Amino acid sequence: MRKIELLSPAGDLERLKVTLSYGADAVYIGGEKLGLRANATNFSIDEIKEGCDFAHKLGKKVYLTLNIVFHNEDMDGVEEYIKEVVDAGIDAFIVSDPFIISHIKKNYPNVEVHLSTQNSTTNYETVEYFKNEGIDRVVLARELSKEEIKEIIDKTHVDIEVFIHGAMCTCFSGRCALSNYVTNRDANRGGCAQVCRFSFINGDNKEFTMATKDMNMARYISDLIDIGVVSLKVEGRMRSLYYLATVIGTYRKIIDDYYNNNLTEEKLNTYEQRLARVANREVSSHYFLKEADYTDQYYTGRNEASNQDYLGQVISYDKENKLLKIYERNYFKLHDKVELFTPLGSIVEFSVEKLYNEDMEELDVARHPDSIYYLYLDTDIKIDEYSMIRLIEKSDYNVL
Amino acid sequence: MKVLVELKDKNISEYKNIDGIILGLEDYSVFNSVTYTKEEIKDITNKYSDLDIFIKIDKNIFNSEINELKEILTYLSKLNITGIFFYDLALLQIKKDLNLDINLVWSQTHMVTNYRTCNYYNEKGVEYALLSKEITLDEIIEISTKSTIKTIVEVFSKPTVGFSRRKLVTNYNHDIGVSGSKELEVLEKVSNDTYLVKEEDAGTGFILNKILNGTSVIKTLYENNVDYILLREVEGIDFKEFVNDTKDYIDNNCLDDNYISKYKKLGDSTGFFFKKTIYRVKK
Repeated sequence: MRKIELLSPAGDLERLKVTLSYGADAVYIGGEKLGLRANATNFSIDEIKEGCDFAHKLGKKVYLTLNIVFHNEDMDGVEEYIKEVVDAGIDAFIVSDPFIISHIKKNYPNVEVHLSTQNSTTNYETVEYFKNEGIDRVVLARELSKEEIKEIIDKTHVDIEVFIHGAMCTCFSGRCALSNYVTNRDANRGGCAQVCRFSFINGDNKEFTMATKDMNMARYISDLIDIGVVSLKVEGRMRSLYYLATVIGTYRKIIDDYYNNNLTEEKLNTYEQRLARVANREVSSHYFLKEADYTDQYYTGRNEASNQDYLGQVISYDKENKLLKIYERNYFKLHDKVELFTPLGSIVEFSVEKLYNEDMEELDVARHPDSIYYLYLDTDIKIDEYSMIRLIEKSDYNVL
Repeated sequence: MKVLVELKDKNISEYKNIDGIILGLEDYSVFNSVTYTKEEIKDITNKYSDLDIFIKIDKNIFNSEINELKEILTYLSKLNITGIFFYDLALLQIKKDLNLDINLVWSQTHMVTNYRTCNYYNEKGVEYALLSKEITLDEIIEISTKSTIKTIVEVFSKPTVGFSRRKLVTNYNHDIGVSGSKELEVLEKVSNDTYLVKEEDAGTGFILNKILNGTSVIKTLYENNVDYILLREVEGIDFKEFVNDTKDYIDNNCLDDNYISKYKKLGDSTGFFFKKTIYRVKK
């Protein structure tokens, strides 16, 4: 039985390394052109090569998005660009344009092509069409139910990828040009301004919004494995390191626990709580169990929470002196209850009892993001590169 | 260059001076004021055999609709139909599977944007392409010049700008505790434009409440061998007169500047004909 793939976004090389370390089986990245996140950091050819080398050494894969809706001018030089990316070692392209699909399959038969969700594929005949065009995998539309996904798999036997986590479009992917009309930013060439999250005014001068809640399929991973989905995709190439570490690390646990027959309700609740801590919107499974309805949207304002749980990234651990060196991201203080988590899934909960600045002066508060701090921690666990610290509970210690 | 129209009612007989018409198919078209059953379409093809009759099957197709869609396409393939507008590639696959004798129009709204993909579809047996409204006149000309596919350009409408599977008006009404209308007019504060949010069985569409008036580009399209211009009926104007005048203008080689002056009154929005979209907002 082929184990399901956990596919993570990676906005840059550091994110690529972090998310693969936290358990992603593959990452999808954007190049410096022709991807749908024109305003993300994105990868140069050299960075693509470095990312592929890093991933391949771990037995993992890298996919490149080439999923814009091409205008005439975007076609200039596209063949050369594809060749450069293939030479850099990419494992698959994620594409929406059938001309590009046919070009890649004809010229690079050993490189996979995945049909982008930008095509909003919603039925088995469309999958069959692309199967005949040589597509290796189809990323289905996010508007499908469990039964619809299963029927597509059963009838086509094409590898199917689905989104499991992250932000949702209000409209069918690719079938929206609101951003073009409202802001002149081209939604289908990587410039989407997310107008569906804007607030409109109706005739009664009341606010009208149509923003969707985010997707969270933690509870249904087992169903997706059972019906034969081959890849589970997390949204968000512009997300933070902490977000990726938490989300990918958590889904890694869910998948592994399921295959090991020890995914209990209690564990699932813990995993959902962990995911909730990095969420800045409410979540839903949208169309998976029912037609999406009023419970899957927001109706007033943006309803987004900022998240300050992420306290910092671990730089090193001095086992002899029991000092954890961290690069701070958010304020914390003595006696706060925190959690150290590592890429391999170890978690240590502890209270901040001793805190020092870079000059080893003792402090009672870490006030300055982007600064180095030391925390006392007595642990035997292996603390790998990219381990992180998050807040569990604030203390009521009064800072002078 | 032919004139293709899409009407808001079924009074086709009142239009004496058109080359073709688009008919929405009941349950399978979106953004329509009127739709037709397949039997009604059959009657129209018999009655208006001199017209180019196109059928619009442009909703996103789901598994449960495939069998019925096959029956419909088989039925339509036996009628005197010029072409079928499609959004979902299921139609292309079904045409191939069932070896149906139908011409298809690639009509993926915002995605019909380059000549190479037009040529790809043409090689796959797709006869026509309705070009996206979000590309420039120069891009249209390049597609028309370099592509083998027959091109259709929408020059007059209230532009459709997005479609969701969600029941957005029903959901909103539920939230504010009212029931009733499936339509809502909303103001977008950044652009100060209003949009019609219109819910139908297949989902919810967004229509810009501002006329795309491309009368000034018709001459260029004519000179660059575009095959059809599309005029979609807009409420509040004498559409019959407008269609007649447009047809006369084209028949007279687009030389009558009075036509341009006359229809300036319909608004100065030329959509993206002269406005290139951007997609990088920082270096």
